[in-house]
Amino acid sequence: MQIAEPLLIAIEELSKLPSIGKKTAQRLALHLLKSNTEDVDSLVNAIKDLKTKIHFCSRCFNLATEELCEVCKSSKRDHSLICVVEEASDVIAIEKTHEFNGVYHVLGGVLSPLTGIGPDSLKIKDLLKRFEDEEIKEILLALNPDTEGETTTLYLAKLIKPLGIKITRIARGLPIGGDLEFADEATIGRAVLGRISL
Amino acid sequence: MILSSVKLKNFRSHKETKLIFSERLNYIVGGNGQGKTSILESIYYLCTTKSINSNFDGEVVRFNENELEIIGSFKDYSNSEARISYFLNSNKKIYFLNGKHITRAADIIGKFPVVILTPTDHSITQGAPGERRKFVDSVISQASETYLKNLLDYNKTLRQKASLLAQLKETKNKTLFDELDAWNSKMIASGKEIIIHRLKFIRKFKDFIKDSFKVILNDDEIPGVEYMFLEGLSQEENIEDIFFKLLHKRKDDEIRRGSNLVGPHRDDFVFKINDVDLKTYGSQGQHKTFQVVLRFAQFFYLKEITGKAPIFLLDDVFGELDAKRSIRISEYLRQVGQAFITLTDFTDFSFLQKEDDDLVIKLNNGQVVYA
Repeated sequence: MQIAEPLLIAIEELSKLPSIGKKTAQRLALHLLKSNTEDVDSLVNAIKDLKTKIHFCSRCFNLATEELCEVCKSSKRDHSLICVVEEASDVIAIEKTHEFNGVYHVLGGVLSPLTGIGPDSLKIKDLLKRFEDEEIKEILLALNPDTEGETTTLYLAKLIKPLGIKITRIARGLPIGGDLEFADEATIGRAVLGRISL
Repeated sequence: MILSSVKLKNFRSHKETKLIFSERLNYIVGGNGQGKTSILESIYYLCTTKSINSNFDGEVVRFNENELEIIGSFKDYSNSEARISYFLNSNKKIYFLNGKHITRAADIIGKFPVVILTPTDHSITQGAPGERRKFVDSVISQASETYLKNLLDYNKTLRQKASLLAQLKETKNKTLFDELDAWNSKMIASGKEIIIHRLKFIRKFKDFIKDSFKVILNDDEIPGVEYMFLEGLSQEENIEDIFFKLLHKRKDDEIRRGSNLVGPHRDDFVFKINDVDLKTYGSQGQHKTFQVVLRFAQFFYLKEITGKAPIFLLDDVFGELDAKRSIRISEYLRQVGQAFITLTDFTDFSFLQKEDDDLVIKLNNGQVVYA
């Protein structure tokens, strides 16, 4: 069967997106074809704006529309407390909680020699420079509790310790609203080890 | 846990075989190549979703066929039916438990605990340290999910560190050395947990070995097992400190060779009879006896820890043993409950005290006869 080339190209491009397969791509392409021109235009512009208007904050490497991100610009935030995370998506996750009033530093990944990511490929030097430029009192390490995340935490802790800054890490334990009996052993074990007095 | 029946389709030499089992001892008898071992293998496959000795599932599909299927009926507190299919063309496995499609292997593993004794067990007592670690790790993992997760985490750390060591061999700069310190700290953190868990396990497992040994031998031979870790330690001392010092001492060596030289991935377990090292001084009979003892100990250990009697599979257990030991083992099996035992028709099994509840299943050219 002969398919019009523009449609083929659209399907090909759409199927490059994560979790979009060939069939979904085809459905999306045909849907766009049927949609009115304004809708398609606003989608195209939204995608374009993503690339042209958003870049990385020059201080913390969070997503930003200007030189600094919204968090770094804000005078209501506590600029002496830095929360270190892997990716910008982690900032979004923590921001949603409204529990954290400090600022961020996005590393852009974690140490992983197997995939060729060493300290120099992460924003670690930039973090150290912030200790010179800003008045930092506490650093909160909020990396994922997996093999690479924990090693990166250990690496950063050792690096920062001589600077005499307070270092903390996020607690590990049970999810809120979760049933103790359904949690996996390892999580319960960690939660017991990390118990707090009331 | 009782397995009341299985249906095999295109599994090894079985085109279509249906078997109904006794809740006591099931003797599977037949000449060479009649598919006795395949039956144990199929039960193992159904319980664990993995084949015993091959990494590739295609090997267990009947020659010139594409699809294998095993259906088993289990009886525990309630009845359940498990069905596994494997398709050679697409290398795909599908699992159904009580008609429900199961997508995560983790939801099956541990649901039907299984202990298997095979002739390849000789490597546990006679082979390299890695074989003993594999045995110990598999027993602890069956009982503790925490241990399994820790082990996976530790192995990942090893792979990452090995890659870093290779980089350090090429370029020696301070940043990479600092990173090595971090990976070493991580190794100590999760490695220590593994060592402590293994120490606790061996302390407990020792008694299970002693009990099983006594039943099978009933003489003055006393078995022992010792856990040797971090280059010769056997007592719980300051593990973290010693681990750290060893890593520091072998650092240059590790970089030069580009591999991990210190840690629980190099530990060993020493089996002893009357305080004499089994691996070096044991006779063939002593080795075989010890292997049988280890599997009985595993069975009773898992039964106590998980509260569930595993399915016990014994492939050619009487092969190299004298009549006296064979009789003891067959009597010992009465304490297990349900078990599956293969016998060749050449074996003289007149010593077996077959009781009314026991079942003898004869395999002959694809025919199944219950005797």
